[in-house]
Amino acid sequence: MRMRVNPTRMELNRLKKRLNMAVRGHRLLKDKRDELMRQFIDLIKHNKELREEVERELQPALAKFLLARAVMSGESMEEAIMFPKTRFDLAVSRQNIMSVYAPKFSWEKAGGGQGEGDIYPYGFADTSAELDASIATLSQLMPKLLELAQVEKAADLLADEIEKTRRRVNALEHVLIPQLSETVRYITMKLEEAERSALTRLMKVKDIVRGKT
Amino acid sequence: MANDSKYAYAVARVRVLENRLLDKGQVDRMLEAQGAREALQVLAETNYASAVGELKDVHRFEDLLAGELERVYREVRRFYPEPRLLEALAAKYDVHNLKVLLKAQGLGREAGGDILYPNVGNIPLAKLEAMFAQEDFRDLPPHLRQAVEEIGAGWSQRPDPQWIDIILDRALYDHLLALADTIPFLKEFFTHQANLVNIKTFIRVKILRQDEDFLKKVLLRGGDIHQSFFTDLYHEPLEVLCDRLALSPYAQVVNEGLAEWQEKGRLTRFEKLADDFLLNFVRSHRHHPFGPQALVGYLLAVENELKLIRIIMVGKLNKLPPEEIRERLRDVYV
Repeated sequence: MRMRVNPTRMELNRLKKRLNMAVRGHRLLKDKRDELMRQFIDLIKHNKELREEVERELQPALAKFLLARAVMSGESMEEAIMFPKTRFDLAVSRQNIMSVYAPKFSWEKAGGGQGEGDIYPYGFADTSAELDASIATLSQLMPKLLELAQVEKAADLLADEIEKTRRRVNALEHVLIPQLSETVRYITMKLEEAERSALTRLMKVKDIVRGKT
Repeated sequence: MANDSKYAYAVARVRVLENRLLDKGQVDRMLEAQGAREALQVLAETNYASAVGELKDVHRFEDLLAGELERVYREVRRFYPEPRLLEALAAKYDVHNLKVLLKAQGLGREAGGDILYPNVGNIPLAKLEAMFAQEDFRDLPPHLRQAVEEIGAGWSQRPDPQWIDIILDRALYDHLLALADTIPFLKEFFTHQANLVNIKTFIRVKILRQDEDFLKKVLLRGGDIHQSFFTDLYHEPLEVLCDRLALSPYAQVVNEGLAEWQEKGRLTRFEKLADDFLLNFVRSHRHHPFGPQALVGYLLAVENELKLIRIIMVGKLNKLPPEEIRERLRDVYV
């Protein structure tokens, strides 16, 4: 569909400039989309691996936790784990992936025990040994869970951006560029038509003048 | 013996109460039930009938267990002639409440009502909470006050929730054995309990590769297997523990428990056998007509029964296969 504009030479110039710009923008956005796609695919591959790994380890840990829960009373269980011994200090900064600002986590284990294995916040008299294994796995898994959260958020943001870019590319390709080029053609034709009619009028006038003499 | 005749009435009452405990048939029926709701239906035919009727959501079955525990202690307190005995048996609930309140204080938040025992312990929860509100622990029994002070002193240097548990557990067992000094049966019971806890702690410390100093800290002092027995064994492989305990009453618990650990890497069987050992111990004395045996047996049986129900309910709610539930089930008292 062409735009409703006055078919003047000035308008033609303006539209040609816009068309030029649109074509250039379209090319750029297409490149951006392709690169985003490439990055996104890398990211989700990593994400998938990480998630599978986390789930593989989380499942037995949760199963053990469940069994510990079965042999300990709800009260003792809650008491045992209500006060965590280790703490993660989490700092969030930004990373720029193709001008998408995704959060980047950095963390540090703080507080807690002196040794590596000193993660158990409960005494041993009133707790089940099944809890130990579960707590150990969950504690080891924590960094991976944080990384997973970071990667999943990045993938999420990237997917949004890809969606937006794709919509822009499509809008340019299927709407704006055809519209502009059609309008340009229309104006060119209109102008040529006007030129031709001016020419014929001129010739006619010339004939009349010549016939009188 | 003449002194013990004061128990006669209480023993008779306990006998009646014992009859209301779940028997093996009922536990098996719960185990074979299709789902959690069906398992609960089995309970509806027992002593728990009214509580089951009031229960709106199967997932809240812990309310039922907490209610039962509270009811049993209330009932027994009404007729029991020897308050010291009940004090000893309920002491662990005070310690639990104290742990929760101390941890909540350390975290700077309120302790959730769900994880406290409001009416089971010797010190009413409201009184305990008031002490925390005013930070005045003068009214605590001396052994607990001392423990709280020790925790407070350690806390200012390095806040460690594990420390709260360790100190209070130790204070608890010291106190229990002191209380039981004049009641030989009770003393024997707590000694067994402390020994079994220590053996389990030793194995866990070895498995978790904690150091020897830590082991010294977490071992209870109450048992008659001395601390040095464990510290000497610390650098030996776990199998040596079986040999050393071969002549003790715990030989079977340790042998079978460790066999399962080596095969499957878990202490499930050990914990089950340890609980069964204590239950069998009190069961073998339960026919004593004059003395505290029957009551200790009954209260332990109630706790055991609540544990049984919990294992089955958690198993059923999470659709665990029956054999997985069964290997964790403790013996039945009656």
